[in-house]
Amino acid sequence: MNTVNGNTDHELMVAVAGGDLAAMSEIYARRNRQLFRFFFRMVGRQAPAEDLTHEVFLRMMRYRQTYRAGELFEAWMYRIARNVFTDHTKRHRLEIPAVEGQMELVESTRPTPLDSVVKQQDLALLHKALRGLPDEKRELIVLSRFQGLTYEEIGRIVGCEPGTVKVRVFRAMKEMGQVFHELRKEKAS
Amino acid sequence: MEPGCERARELMAGAWMAEQDEASALALQMHLEGCAECAAEMAALGTMWGRLGDLPVPEPSPMMRMRFERTLDTFLAARPQLPWWKKIWPSQPAWQMAIAGLCLAVGLGAGSLLERGRVERDEVSRLRDEVASTKEMVALSLLQQQSATERLRGVDYSARMPQMETQVVDALVQAVNRDSNVNVRLAAVDALSKVAGDMRVRNSMQQALVQQDSPMVQAALIDYLVDARDKNAVGVMRDLVARPDVNPTVRERAGYAVRQLGQ
Repeated sequence: MNTVNGNTDHELMVAVAGGDLAAMSEIYARRNRQLFRFFFRMVGRQAPAEDLTHEVFLRMMRYRQTYRAGELFEAWMYRIARNVFTDHTKRHRLEIPAVEGQMELVESTRPTPLDSVVKQQDLALLHKALRGLPDEKRELIVLSRFQGLTYEEIGRIVGCEPGTVKVRVFRAMKEMGQVFHELRKEKAS
Repeated sequence: MEPGCERARELMAGAWMAEQDEASALALQMHLEGCAECAAEMAALGTMWGRLGDLPVPEPSPMMRMRFERTLDTFLAARPQLPWWKKIWPSQPAWQMAIAGLCLAVGLGAGSLLERGRVERDEVSRLRDEVASTKEMVALSLLQQQSATERLRGVDYSARMPQMETQVVDALVQAVNRDSNVNVRLAAVDALSKVAGDMRVRNSMQQALVQQDSPMVQAALIDYLVDARDKNAVGVMRDLVARPDVNPTVRERAGYAVRQLGQ
């Protein structure tokens, strides 16, 4: 729960729902990077990730009156993000599959000594393996590994028990491992 | 797959996120020691989980923020102007409840004051009734006095009453008919002018006119009936005009009254 400036995200969103749209600016400042990173991990490209992030804030403002007092802000926000992503994949179904030319693996800012070139190549393959997973499996890895959410929080977002989330994350990781090894074999041959 | 592998997988996912208690960590360790397949998976996938953290992610471009600000400005410009009370109305339920509680307390306080005011008004009304009743009793009592002066005070008292009760009216009519003092009778006729609209009183005045022996009182009664526009009194007036024993001035006044009422 973010309580910077005395107000939690929930309180800010209640204010927005009550008509104080200016409070949306603070919510944006707190959450835009988090959402951008989620979408970047999901779609693998900067421009669509920015578009989708923008769409989430647009929907938050447009449907602000649907926010309820008993709501958990983070779960509500991610539910909107998932809907935005689902709509995006429906519109761009043909663009989504991992095609090497479309992926943007961002250059690491860390120095890359010669002896870690192999590791850097592995990182590219890992990125590709993540992108090669079905959306629902990739989403679970992104939420658990990158977004800093607990299994309980993920359970609230995707609508299942934390134990079920754990098993599904394990399966997603296992599948990603298989994809990774296949890609590595292809690269070696 | 060994028995317990499914449970171990759940525990492995917990271990990657450091979401496990001591008992779960121990259970996982024991399983991995006895299950080579799970141990291999834990090693390989655990490493991969760690490596995922090395995947870089860019920062959103400044354009994204500018775009959001433009959109927010559009929303702010398009929103309807809030009424003044909504601007000051707090968004937090705790404050809303506090204000609602305050309003309730103020309402109860105001209601209590109003109720007290109403009780006081009732009290005043009751006292006013009591005073009126007392005045009436005083007036009636004065009209019964031996002294003509006291009886005149009683008539005067009655004339000042905002509303003349039946008992007082009857007492005044009786005074017109039977009081021994002419001044009292004249004053009583004058006092009864307030209830000249009452036909019962006018009829009593007609009877009194026939019975009166005082020309002054007769003249006053004729004026009373003319002022009251009592056409039923024409017959009584004609009888007076015809009676030779009646004071000529009274007969003349009665003739005048017949002409006035006959028009």
